[in-house]
Formats: sequence, structure tokens, C-alpha cells
Amino acid sequence: DCQSGTVPSSQTLRSDHLEMEPETMETKSLTDYFNRMHMDAIMGKR
Amino acid sequence: RHVQKLKINVYHSFHASLMEASCLELALEGERLCKVGDYSGGVSFFEAAIQVGTEDLQVLSAIYSQLGNAYFHLHNYTKALEFHHHDLTLTRTMGDLLGEAKASGNLGNTLKALGRFDEAVVFCQRHLDISKDAGDKMGQARALYNFGNVYHAKGKNACTNDSEPGNFPEEVSTALAKAAEYYEGNLCIVKELGDRAAQGRTCGNLGNTHYLLGNFRSAVSSHQQRLLIAKEFGDRPAERRAYCNLGNAYIFLGEFDKAAEHYKRALQLARQLKDRAVEAQTCYSLGNTYTLLQDYERAIDYHLKHLIIAQDLNDRIGEGRACWSLGNAHTALGNHDQAMQFAERHLEISKETGDRSGELTARM
Repeated sequence: DCQSGTVPSSQTLRSDHLEMEPETMETKSLTDYFNRMHMDAIMGKR
Repeated sequence: RHVQKLKINVYHSFHASLMEASCLELALEGERLCKVGDYSGGVSFFEAAIQVGTEDLQVLSAIYSQLGNAYFHLHNYTKALEFHHHDLTLTRTMGDLLGEAKASGNLGNTLKALGRFDEAVVFCQRHLDISKDAGDKMGQARALYNFGNVYHAKGKNACTNDSEPGNFPEEVSTALAKAAEYYEGNLCIVKELGDRAAQGRTCGNLGNTHYLLGNFRSAVSSHQQRLLIAKEFGDRPAERRAYCNLGNAYIFLGEFDKAAEHYKRALQLARQLKDRAVEAQTCYSLGNTYTLLQDYERAIDYHLKHLIIAQDLNDRIGEGRACWSLGNAHTALGNHDQAMQFAERHLEISKETGDRSGELTARM
């Protein structure tokens, strides 16, 4: 009998392990910034 | 004298441009390393870039921000907080509102991770306010998602160990209800924007919030939606998370066969993804599920699998849990000698790990 004293009840058998989704961190891209600077430089030379 | 001055000017401007180039180069390498998941390597390059220095405040802001994010991913939240604060100060000095919104969002997430929920809320609100003023829908959605995460964590943090989902103190239920509200607000926007990836993430966390609130049918519905979106993207880690969360919800609905089915899919994916810790957790859940189904042979099989991985990973708490579960399953089958052996191992591990309640259970 799974509800007996020796075997844990359904309460202790439940999973506490919730799988959360990742946080979304805000990013400030240096690659984009560098590419923009590069483009500006090219346009400036023209 | 004029020529001398000109020479000095040329030297200074050459030195400054050299410094800028070198700082940016180092920072770009840091960014590249973080993108491939090497956050420790990224931190080294960003720190070196700061040492070289730059007069371009936009570059400095991006370095602070990325350094904060790298530390966040390394779970060094104190350092993450330090750099996101530097970024916030800098963006405020520059009058860069969009940059301030981003720094505020990152501070909200970091303070949440540190358990400083009330401070986190202030920064989430700043992120939301700036995004609203700028008419930035995507920014608003992200701020609402962060808000939901803060209230979810606040609610979960206030749960006591022995409280059951759906039967929490009012403080917990209020925080969880707020989390659900913010997630729903986020979903309205991301659906309008057609951002399926964001929708998937929110469905997953909303499902977990429903689970804690005791709304298990709603939890199932949200997790099924999350599963569908994960499959659309071929996102196997997200798929695995959804299967595991569905298993949890079916346990509470008393549908143990369905729970086992979903945990098995989660186990398959954990093995494919070579994530041993998750594989162990899933074996443990399966062992418990088969105990509920009173299929003790299968329960023993999964608890043994859990035990082996816990030993491999040197996870003494997991090992103790496995021994306790194995003791119970053997008792149910009348294998008293084996039950006693596992109970003794459980007692030994509980003493070693200082698990007082485990020790008391073992002595029983």
C-alpha cells in the first residue's frame, strides 16, 4: 500500500522540480556598433 | 615650437586611436566568446578592454552591460550587479534612455536572482516606463516577462517546504497571481508581434505559475502550448522542460500513467542532450511516479539509475534521496534486508550532509 507508513505518500512523491524558462537579458552589441561605425566611415569617405 | 606642438598632437591622437582600436578589438573578442558560451573567457577580454580604456562612452556602456551579463550567466550575481549598475550610471549621464531601459531590465533580472525582489520591481517598472514612452512594444513585452519572473520567484521564495501547490499563504498566492497577470500582459503583446519564441518562454513560466497556484488543467494547457512552440523551433532543451513540467502537472491531476509517459520523453531528451544532472532528476521523478502506480520493480529500476548518476556526479544529497526511495520500494516488496541496507546508507549520508530531517526519517 503506497499510503502506508513505510512508503512515502503522494505528497512527498510530488516533484518540486519546476523547469523555468531562461531569463532574457538585454544586450548591447559591439559588433553592430562596430559595423555601423565602419559603414559611417565608408559613407564619409564617399 | 609649432612643429614640436604638432608632433605632440599627432602623437596624442595616434595614441588615442590606437587605444580605441585596441579596446574595441578586445571587447569584440569578449563578445565573440560569450556568444559561443565561453563566459569566463569573455570576462577576461572585457576586463582587459576596460584596462586599456576608451573615450567612446557607447562602447564603454556595451562593455559594462556585456560584462554584467557574462557574470550573470556564471551565476556571479554580485559582480553582475556591480557592472549593470556602472552601465545604468553611464547611460543616465549620457542621457541615453534606450540604454537606461536595457540597464534597468538587466538590473531587475540580477536583483531577482539575488532575492532582492522589491528592488527588482523598481527597475522592471523603469524598463517598462521607458519602453512605453518610446512606443517600444518589444521592450514593453520583455519588461512584462521580467516582472512576471520577479513575482514568480518572490512567490516561490515565500513558500514553505511543506506547503502544497494551491494551498499557500496569502502572500504567496498574491505574488503568484501578479506573476500570472504580467505573463498574460506579455502574451497579448508578443502574440500581436508574432514573436513565437517569446510566446513559448512565457507559456512555460505561466504554466509553472498555474501549477503553483493549483490550477493544474491551466498548467497543462500552457505547457502543451510551450511544447508545440519548442517543436516548431526544434528547441530540444525547451521541449525537455515542457515534458518534465507536464509530468509534474499530471502527477497532481492523479494521471500517473500520463505523467510517466511525459517524464519518459523528458528522459530521452536529457540523454540526447547529454545532461546528466537532468537525467538523474528525471529518473528520480519516474521512480516516484512508478511508486505512485505501485509498480515497485520499475520504481526500483529508475531509483537505481538515479543512484548511479548521483554517485557519478558526486551528488551526496541526490544519493541520499535515492537510497531513501529504494529503501521504501524494497519495503513495499517485502525485501526487508535490502530495505534495511538502503535505510542505513540513507542515514549515513544524512549525517554526513547535515540533513537533520533526512536523518530523523532514516531512523524511523
